[in-house]
Amino acid sequence: MSAKPVAWWGMMMLVAAEATLFGTLIGTYFYLRFSTPHWPPGGIAKPGAVVPIVLALVLVASVFPLRLGTRAGIALALLMQAGYFAYAVHDFADRLHSFTPQTNAYGSIYYVLLGADHAHVAVGLLFDVWLLANWRTIGLRVITVYWIAVAVLTLAVTGTILSARA
Amino acid sequence: MTAVGLLERQWTERPGLLGWLTTTDHKRIGLLYFWTTLVLFGAGGTEALLMRTQLAQPNSHVVGPEAYDQLFSLHGITMIFFFIIPMTTGAFGNYLIPLMIGARDMAFPRMNALSFWIFLGSGIFLYASLALGSAPDAGWFDYVPLASRQFSPGRNIDFYCLALIFNGVSSTLAASNFIVTILKLRAPGMSLNRTPLFCFAFLAASFGLLFALPALTADAVFLYLDRRVGTHFFDVAHGGSALLWQHLFWIFGHPEVYILIVPAFGIATSIIPAFTQHRVVAFPLVAIAELLVVFIGFGVWAHHMFATGLPTVTLIFFAAASALVVIPSTIQVFAWCLTILSGTARFRTPLLFIVGFILFFVVGGLTGIMFVAIPFDQQMTDTYFVIAHFHYIIFGAAVFPIFGGMYYWFPKLTGRMYFELPGQISFWIIFAGTNLLFFPMHVVGLDGMPRRVYTYPGGLGWGTYNLIETVGGYITLAGILLLFGNLVVSYVRGERVGRDPWHGPTLEWTIPSPPPEYNFAVIPHVTSAYPNWEPLAGDLVLDEGHQQPITTAADGELAEIAQMPHESPWPVLLGLGLALVFALLVVEKFLVAGIALGLCALVLAAWHR
Repeated sequence: MSAKPVAWWGMMMLVAAEATLFGTLIGTYFYLRFSTPHWPPGGIAKPGAVVPIVLALVLVASVFPLRLGTRAGIALALLMQAGYFAYAVHDFADRLHSFTPQTNAYGSIYYVLLGADHAHVAVGLLFDVWLLANWRTIGLRVITVYWIAVAVLTLAVTGTILSARA
Repeated sequence: MTAVGLLERQWTERPGLLGWLTTTDHKRIGLLYFWTTLVLFGAGGTEALLMRTQLAQPNSHVVGPEAYDQLFSLHGITMIFFFIIPMTTGAFGNYLIPLMIGARDMAFPRMNALSFWIFLGSGIFLYASLALGSAPDAGWFDYVPLASRQFSPGRNIDFYCLALIFNGVSSTLAASNFIVTILKLRAPGMSLNRTPLFCFAFLAASFGLLFALPALTADAVFLYLDRRVGTHFFDVAHGGSALLWQHLFWIFGHPEVYILIVPAFGIATSIIPAFTQHRVVAFPLVAIAELLVVFIGFGVWAHHMFATGLPTVTLIFFAAASALVVIPSTIQVFAWCLTILSGTARFRTPLLFIVGFILFFVVGGLTGIMFVAIPFDQQMTDTYFVIAHFHYIIFGAAVFPIFGGMYYWFPKLTGRMYFELPGQISFWIIFAGTNLLFFPMHVVGLDGMPRRVYTYPGGLGWGTYNLIETVGGYITLAGILLLFGNLVVSYVRGERVGRDPWHGPTLEWTIPSPPPEYNFAVIPHVTSAYPNWEPLAGDLVLDEGHQQPITTAADGELAEIAQMPHESPWPVLLGLGLALVFALLVVEKFLVAGIALGLCALVLAAWHR
């Protein structure tokens, strides 16, 4: 068995805690959904499918250039992730025109769930920038782990949000 | 220069206050935790005695209802989040785990310092609310709708939410650090089956914290947003659910109960072999049981909600799951008792506290089992019977080993022995006081006396019992004061003892007392779970910088030699920055709080330059 460095274990601890946090948020989403007769409630339109799926796939795809392990790879990943982030934030702000976290419980969990996800992407972007400024192999390794986790969590969040279409 | 001289030069930290502010030494951080939690224990205890004084007689007016609400809320929050968890993991775990596994520090020494500074910040934050006259006042479990903005418009509950989120960051960091330390920094040869049971207990508690705290964090974030941003998570009128608070709280809260008690198991499994000179009976079963208690703890949360109108099927499931906890608990009780009976027990003060712990654990466990009977639970909900039950567990079973552990490891920390006779007297006083304090609560609880009410009418037959409880409270206080008095006098005048006065089983007894900065001059090679009872082995000196062997997680085989970080000013600065963020959130300066958070990111970047 090849021993993983201590930093890798540390990142796994962070990932475990954050995944549990998202588990709680997604659990809350469905708890609220199953105690509400119509979902989304209050005449809010069902979320569109195309944009979130494309966005999530961009984030998943950004893991591959990271795994190249070169500066150019990181830069390319950063570009994709920043593009994702910019569009996601734009979409987030755009939605606020039709309903807000204060509209009803659906609005509350919708924005908190997406907001938590976007915050994790934002932290990842800072990690990328830090890595480009302070190149370390071990840094690359754990930041890749972080992005894989964020990509998987984003898929889970996207699936949860889109479940309102069913 | 000799190897020891080299090690000393490389590991000795800056002297004075600056040294304490920048320290990454797990022993100094453990001591910082110890003193801080001791102060907070004093605060929580004072709150308890104020409540007991108020309740000593019917229709009493020592404190008014508003003050009483803050007292019982702060008492619960303090004792759970700011005393027991930081005292066990923060103080005992930090100081002892690296010593027990033959390591020179924790896996992430700077993050360890950061956990402490965040913890200190969150403690000051919580008690600032008291100074401002708006301490949390909706109980430690803070149920909505009482805790919602509509019924609690002041800042009290905002302090509650933010203090627990803040404190949760510290506990999550500490838990991660313990898991990685225990899995990766064990001395070569210390495979999992040779790892001290103390470490298994702390591993279990750390996994519990890691997976339980996110639910509390999410819950507290939801409540804060509901109160100050206008979301509707718990607002039934807008599609929210008041029960959601309770579900999330107890998904955290029940594992939390086991997180409180499991380190006590760990302390018991350290003290028992030392004072019986006998290996712990059924070692692997006890190790698994320690982990299993926490694991099962994640599946029983709704037994705190039997009176909320959940469907009967749900109640039955959670009652059955709760009954399962008996199995790993009983395995351990039998293992402890059989070990004491199999060896030649010397009933010195630490072992007395452990015997007291076992008795309290059994009594509290028996009343716990009674709650599995759903109708009984529904009858007893919100009465003093519940208070009696969980104080037998949380004070009798969780805190007694902390006291026992203080005596047991006192010679290791100070190089001096405590005074035995006053030690034993302190045990008997605390033991008697605790029973007087909590046993009558069973009776008044069965009589229907409700909890969280600041007074009660005369003529119900509760007065005498309550007076006995209050007297018991002050007797307990006297015992605790004797305990600390003994330790303080012993620190100055106690007999000097060598490295190993108890012939203890684990590695901390192989090194000088107090331990040197680098802990182990020679990294031990471990061949059994009781390495101090075997001939010493090991040849790794590792005197080039902060060197630390990293071993494989299961087999404890040497994998690499890592360089550990040195002291650093960044953890305390980051803690300060985060405290600023939370202070700004209380006063709803969201934009400035965001800027402060950005500053924290800059500090983090400078830290990792």
